[in-house]
Amino acid sequence: MSTLTHPRRTGLALITPAVALVVVFVFVPLVVAVYISLTNFPLIGPYRFIGFDNYASVLTDPTFWDSLGYTLLYTAIVTLPILLLGYGLAVLVRSNRRGATLLRTIFFVPFVIGLTTLSFLMLLEAQPNSGMVNVVLRFLGITDGSTAWLVDGPLATGLLCVMVVWAASGLTMVLLMSGMQGIPREVYESAEMDGASWWQREMQITVPMLRRTIAMTVILSVIGSFLAFTQFYILTQGGPGSETTTIVMAIYRRAFVQLQLGAATAMSLVLVVITGLVTAAQFWLLRERS
Amino acid sequence: MELTRRQLLALAGVATASAALAGCGGTLRPADIEAAGFGEDASGTLNLWCRSDTVNGTQAVVDAFHQAQDRIRVRLTPIQNGQYVTKLATAIRGGRVPDVVDIDDIYSTLFAYRGAFTDLTPLIDDLGIGAALSPGHLALSTKDGRRYGLPFIGDFSVLFCNTELFDRAGLSVEEQTRDFAGLLDAARAIGGLGDDVYGWSYPGNSSGALGFTVQPHVWATGRDLIAGDVGNQRGDVAGNDALRSTLDFARTLWSENLVPPGSFADDASRWSADYAAGRLGMFPASFGVVVPNSSQELLDRTQVVLLPGPDGGHAFFDGGDNLCMLNGARNPSAAWEFMKFAVDVQQQSRMPEGFYSPVRSDVVTPEFAESYPFVVPPLEALDSGYAPTTLAYNLIYNQQDGPWLRMFRQAVFDGEVDAAMQEAQTTYDRILRQAQA
Repeated sequence: MSTLTHPRRTGLALITPAVALVVVFVFVPLVVAVYISLTNFPLIGPYRFIGFDNYASVLTDPTFWDSLGYTLLYTAIVTLPILLLGYGLAVLVRSNRRGATLLRTIFFVPFVIGLTTLSFLMLLEAQPNSGMVNVVLRFLGITDGSTAWLVDGPLATGLLCVMVVWAASGLTMVLLMSGMQGIPREVYESAEMDGASWWQREMQITVPMLRRTIAMTVILSVIGSFLAFTQFYILTQGGPGSETTTIVMAIYRRAFVQLQLGAATAMSLVLVVITGLVTAAQFWLLRERS
Repeated sequence: MELTRRQLLALAGVATASAALAGCGGTLRPADIEAAGFGEDASGTLNLWCRSDTVNGTQAVVDAFHQAQDRIRVRLTPIQNGQYVTKLATAIRGGRVPDVVDIDDIYSTLFAYRGAFTDLTPLIDDLGIGAALSPGHLALSTKDGRRYGLPFIGDFSVLFCNTELFDRAGLSVEEQTRDFAGLLDAARAIGGLGDDVYGWSYPGNSSGALGFTVQPHVWATGRDLIAGDVGNQRGDVAGNDALRSTLDFARTLWSENLVPPGSFADDASRWSADYAAGRLGMFPASFGVVVPNSSQELLDRTQVVLLPGPDGGHAFFDGGDNLCMLNGARNPSAAWEFMKFAVDVQQQSRMPEGFYSPVRSDVVTPEFAESYPFVVPPLEALDSGYAPTTLAYNLIYNQQDGPWLRMFRQAVFDGEVDAAMQEAQTTYDRILRQAQA
C-alpha cells in the first residue's frame, strides 16, 4: 500500500531552520539571561556566581514593587479606553462609505507617527504658559495656562495616558475593523428583519463574533502597556521622584545607570514571568465558551 | 542523521556556554608606562573619546596638537552625554577600547574603582604641576592614593551677580554674598526693584543642575550629603544642619517670590534666559552657561563670586573632565603624549575661548585675568572646589527620579523639609548600598 505521507526525515529537515532560529535567538539568550541573573554581572569589571541573591534583592527592593505597581495602574487606566475608542472608531469607518478611507487614515496616523515623535511633540506642547495644551485650556477658561504637567505625578500620568490612548487606539481600530468586515452581512440583515435595534445588533452579533479579535487587541494592549518605556523616558524620565517610573524603566536604570546587569536581568526575568501569567489569565478569561 | 533529545540539549548547552563566555570577555591589561621612551616620539593613530558637551574644547586641543607635530593623528569620537558611561562600559566589556577618554570627572571614579583605567601616578608626578592642578578633579580619579586621571577641562559652579541691579538696590556684591542672611536681604531688595526683576533663580526640575549649584552651599561648611569612604558610604542627610539651612534658604526664596515662577518647572533648558535678559540679581551657574548666552553689555556689569555657606565660607562644584588612559589601549605612548600636551599652560590658557575653565591655577596672569575675569575666582581658590567621590553620583544627583531632586522639590515647593530629608536619607542609603554591593 502506498502512502501519501513524506518520510520523517523530510519533515525534520523542513522544520530545522525554524527550530534553529528559535534556539539561537530565543532559547540560547534566555538561558544566558538566566545564567547572568545568577551572577553579580556588572557592565564593568569581573563577575562571580551569587546564586539567587539578585532575586532576593529584587523582590525586597521597594523600587521594583513601586514601579510594578505604577505599571499595573497605568495598564489599568489605558486598556479599556484604548479598546472602547478603537471600537468606536472601527464602527465609524467599517463601512465603505464615501470618506471612510480618509477617516481611517486620519485615525491611524498617530500610531504611524509613533510614540517617540509624539512624546517629543508633547514635551513642547505641555510646557507651562507656552505649550499648546495650556494655551487651549486657558482659552477654554479651564486653567490659567501655567500648569506644569510633567512635574506632577498624577498630572503627568493623566497626560501620558491621554496621549497613549490617542496613539494606540488607531491600531485597535484597524484590527477590530478587519474583524467586523469579516462578519457576513446576512447575519445583520436577518437580525434587522427580526426587529433588532442597532445596539442589539452590536451587542448580540458584532461583539460575540469579534470575541477572538477583541481578546487579541486587549492582550496586545496589555503587553504593550506592561513594556511601556519610550513615552515615560522622554516626557518624565520617571519623575518627579519616582512617581512615573515604569517597571521597564526601573530595569533600564538598574542595567545602564547602576550598571548592574545581573540584578537587571533578574528583574527582567521576573517581569517575563509576571507578563506570562497575566497573559495566560487573559487567555483564560477571554477564551471561547460553548 | 537524526539528533536524539539528549544530543540536542548538549548542543544547546555548548552554544549557551560559548555565548556566555564570548559576552564576558577578559580583563584588559594596563600599559607599561615605565618603559623607556614612553610618551615621547610616539606615532600612529590615537583614538580619543570625548563628551558631546565638550567636543568644541577637545577639538581645539586636538587641532593644536596636530599643528604641533605630525607623527600622531588623533581620531576624535564624540559620545552623547547620556550614553557615555554605557558606551564606554560596553567597549571595555567588548575588549575594544579607545586609547584615551575625556570623561566627566564625576564618572571617572566609577571606572577607576572598577579597574578600567591605567595607573598614571608616576607620570603625573613627573609633570611637576600637581600643586597647580584642580584637587577636586584629581580626587575623583584617585583610588588608594593612586592617580587614574589627569584633569583636563574645568566646569565650576559660581555665583554671577548683576552689579547694576545691586547698585540700584544700594547693595555691595562683596558684603551681601558672604552668607545666606546677606543673600536673602539682597534678593528681597533686588526683587523690590520691579515686577519682572528677581533676586535669585534655580532650575527646580533639573536634578543635575541643582546638584551642581545647590550642593556647594552645604560643602562650604565642610560637610557633604554622603559620608564615609567608597565601599562603605552612607547618606548624611537627616540631621544635616547645613543641608537643612540650604533647603530652608531655597524654600524662603520660593515662598517669598524671590525666584521667577518658571523655576518650579525649569528643567534647565532655559536656565540662563532670565539672567541673560538682565532680570536676575544673582544666578548660580557656570561660565559656560552664562557667557555664551549673554550680551557684552550685561557681562560688563557682571561680577562673579564663590557660593557661600549658610554662615560663611565658600565652595564650588569642581566639575569638568578628566583625561584617562584605558587599560588595553593600543597606542598608550601616543596617549600620554597627547595628555601632556592637553594640560600644558598654553592649551589650558585657551580653554575659556571655548567657554570652559582651565584646571590649573598657574594659568592666571594679569593678562589672563583681564581677558577672562569670570573664571578667575575658582582658580584662585581651587582648594574650595569639591565633588563627592562616590560610585552612586549619577543615580543620586543626575537622574530625574533620584532622591536629590525629590528631596529638593518636596522641601522647597511643598515646604516639607524634615519629611523630605528623612525620606531622602533612606533612599540615599539604599542606593549607596546597591552601588557598593
